[in-house]
Amino acid sequence: MQSVKESFTNGIMRANPTFILLLGLCPTLAVSTSLDNAVGMTAAFLFVLLLANIIVSSLRRFIPDRVRIPTFIVIIATLVTLVDLMLQGFVPELSKSLGMYIPLIVVNCIILGRAEAFASKNRVVHSIADALGMAIGFGWAIFIVSLIRQLLGSGSLEFFGVHLFTVPGLEENPAAIFLLPMGAFFVIGVLLALFRWMGVSESE
Amino acid sequence: MSELAAIFFGMALVNNMVLSKFLGLCPFFGVSKNLKSAFSMGVAVLLVMFVASAVTWPLFHVLLVPYGAGYMRTVIFILVIASLVQIIEMTIKRTNLTLYNALGIYLPLITTNCAVLGITFINIDSAYTFPQSIAAALGAGLGFTLVLVIMSGIRERLDLADTPKAFRGAPIAFITAMFLGLAFLAFGGMVG
Amino acid sequence: MGKRQGGLYPILFLTVVVLISVIALTVTNDITEEPIAEGKRQAIMEMLQSLFPEMDDFRYDEESERYTVTADGTLLGQAFMAQGVGYGGPIDILIGLELDSALRGIQIVSQKETPGLGAKVTGATFLNQFVGQEAGTLALTKDGGAIDAITGATISSSAVVKAIKDAVLEQSGNNGGGE
Repeated sequence: MQSVKESFTNGIMRANPTFILLLGLCPTLAVSTSLDNAVGMTAAFLFVLLLANIIVSSLRRFIPDRVRIPTFIVIIATLVTLVDLMLQGFVPELSKSLGMYIPLIVVNCIILGRAEAFASKNRVVHSIADALGMAIGFGWAIFIVSLIRQLLGSGSLEFFGVHLFTVPGLEENPAAIFLLPMGAFFVIGVLLALFRWMGVSESE
Repeated sequence: MSELAAIFFGMALVNNMVLSKFLGLCPFFGVSKNLKSAFSMGVAVLLVMFVASAVTWPLFHVLLVPYGAGYMRTVIFILVIASLVQIIEMTIKRTNLTLYNALGIYLPLITTNCAVLGITFINIDSAYTFPQSIAAALGAGLGFTLVLVIMSGIRERLDLADTPKAFRGAPIAFITAMFLGLAFLAFGGMVG
Repeated sequence: MGKRQGGLYPILFLTVVVLISVIALTVTNDITEEPIAEGKRQAIMEMLQSLFPEMDDFRYDEESERYTVTADGTLLGQAFMAQGVGYGGPIDILIGLELDSALRGIQIVSQKETPGLGAKVTGATFLNQFVGQEAGTLALTKDGGAIDAITGATISSSAVVKAIKDAVLEQSGNNGGGE
């Protein structure tokens, strides 16, 4: 039985959803064009994953096996719609930027996967730790990818309107390819190889 | 008619689900290791996309919009897709056992395939008419299958090649996807 | 563990879950409906403002789907939305017309074009070309017109031009001779 701490650190490195488990790649690649997006997506993701884990874990003794998956789906879909509506209402810029990838969180393999594999079988405290760990793992992964893509793709870094950093010479002629889908594939591919090379174990 | 063709080819090639919209990546990397499974998955996805679009479009326009319940679409659509997948799986199991054995294990996975839910959203967001949605769904499914098949062909050969250790498996697959995406960019001028 | 599996329980459970979900969503929708609508109105206002800086009020006519822009009660011009078929998806454009039907300017409301290429249609360099043009004769330079397409983004550029042309023609058809 894992300790609470183990459940937490699991998602950050050892079983990092993006780089190790290779789950939830769709949003990571799609919205990682700016730091703002990365933060927004992570926040939405955290909200859904945390609450979903808490709810599923709390109800785990009551959820009948036969309707297990539909129940998870309804819970997650509801949470996702909640996030979507709240973003639209209170942070419309971000909502527009993240677009349909917010509602697509509902089919994010990470969330459904954690509900199925973890939250339905573990206590609430552990499930909370797991959710936080996974969200942080997802978060820093998407953050790094966004950092690279935004920096190389537009020459400068901006964070919620605060201009952080400009690479001289790059801003006028940025490597726009990084903002395109293929740039995303490239960045992830290289980062994955880097991970491999650093010796972090992989579950394939 | 030419407009439908434009949407069809646009979805399949120019705005390819995987390479351009980042949808359907999980199966893309999980299943594209050999040709046969890639093709099976592709066909299964195409089928589900088609049926899902055919069902969700009327649902949205006839049931949700008139009652101002557009916000329910995420919940409704995903439930519809999950149910459809179940029904399709059971139907195939009963009518064609060989087909079921070929497709069987991939079907449940399609429920969480972002490409399927994605296309239903795209149909609504792009304000497509019903025929347009079907064209889009078919195009998307075809494009997905195409990319999956090409990818598996490449990966099968990559497995035999001498890839640097750190790149083996997922990393080189992503880099391959990048080149595939670059190649598909060439389709850009094709439509419109 | 005493998980009940029998008979109706699963269905009942799921039904309750669904009901709670629907309630939660309806409540959230009620809460966010206003802010969302307000946000949209804000966005439109800001765009109209940038097209008609001297504007102090505007009105929207549901039937003709047109905005009438006024300052101190005097009519400044009109605006309406158009949608073009871009490279990556629909391009929503807000078209501003002077009283004499020349183009006041355009604003790109939303687009899904390629960043760094087609997305440049939102840039001032591209948009400023439309100021003062006659919509009826609008065309890209390669077609003999006055609008320079964005290098490497002909599809996005021509989508915008076509959308404006079509929309203005349609609107003047509905107009019946000016207001």
